[in-house]
Amino acid sequence: MKDDSIQPVATVRRRTAGGVLLEAVLVAVIGMAFAFAANQMSPCGLVLARNYFPTGTNNSVRAVATAISPAATSGASPASPSPAQPLAAELKQKGLQLIDGRRAIQLFHESHLKQGVIFIDARDESHYRDGHIPGAYEFDPYHPEKYFPAVLPVCRAAKQIVVYCNGGDCDDSETAALLLRDVGIPNQKLFVYGDGITEWTNNRLPIEIGARNNENLRNLKQ
Amino acid sequence: MKDGQSSRNRLIADTFSILARWLLGAAFLYLGLNKAFNPIEFLKLTRQYDITQDALLLNSIAAALPWFEAFCGLLLLAGVAVRGTALTLAVMLVPFTLLVLHRALLLQAASHIPFCAVSFDCGCGAGVEFICRKLLENFVLFALSVWLLAGRGRRFCARYSLAGC
Repeated sequence: MKDDSIQPVATVRRRTAGGVLLEAVLVAVIGMAFAFAANQMSPCGLVLARNYFPTGTNNSVRAVATAISPAATSGASPASPSPAQPLAAELKQKGLQLIDGRRAIQLFHESHLKQGVIFIDARDESHYRDGHIPGAYEFDPYHPEKYFPAVLPVCRAAKQIVVYCNGGDCDDSETAALLLRDVGIPNQKLFVYGDGITEWTNNRLPIEIGARNNENLRNLKQ
Repeated sequence: MKDGQSSRNRLIADTFSILARWLLGAAFLYLGLNKAFNPIEFLKLTRQYDITQDALLLNSIAAALPWFEAFCGLLLLAGVAVRGTALTLAVMLVPFTLLVLHRALLLQAASHIPFCAVSFDCGCGAGVEFICRKLLENFVLFALSVWLLAGRGRRFCARYSLAGC
């Protein structure tokens, strides 16, 4: 008698569990179809076949190297020692050269004195508009097709090209430099400014707001 | 007297269940859309876990996951396939939480700071967060999923079960 009453409850539970599992599978399948369709239709969707990281680096190595003091995460200058040495070695392996802030400033002054030195900002459009190194060209390496027409001719003509992004664990400058190398810019001309715009602004150096060469300069030293 | 108490308890449980469903749905919708509208950022953050070196697979994960989360969020808000969706989310939360925990332990080992002082953008859609807070959040989301999976929160559902409400 007791068994008769337990058996149906167990059967019902098993059926319900099976039903829920089936429903979950259905949700997963329909959800994935929806997700890929939404990505396809979204104006900022990813192109699945594109390799967005031609660097092929293990980003976590650098992230760990720069991690993770509260200062580093809040965007202030990291208190920990600079990870420049492993980064320089990593870049050297790829035929790129790392430069520090002093060299970047030197090249910035040279860019004003003579033709042949250019700066490339490898951040996205909104960051570029918020403020970039004066005269720097905008080049978001995740939308290269948009920027190649403007950037490639000047890179071919330039003798030295300084590529930068935010600094810290940002490797967009490296990605951009490798993209330029891959389209035929000699890597001897390419310099990666590792500490990037964060160090530049921390040193209170001038930045340009908005479009390139619009004369809207902000001198942070004032 | 006993019936009154029991119906009051049921009312409380029902109200909590509806709120749990809406909260879970809203959380996944918000976190999913946050990532879906910044896919490049999410792609970079996904890469930090070294799940795969294959570009197509990495792109697929980064492209689909945010929209999938938003989709699940919408289902819960509307009350469609609630238990199936709750099971999907609970199953998803386990590996995500383990990945975040693993990365936090790596960062802690590299930086020699207390575990709860480790903070980073885990790609979860809420920016830089302290790890202990993130783990707690994930635990709450997991607990809410399990609560809904147990068959609660049937009221105000468009279609509680695909097999029939």
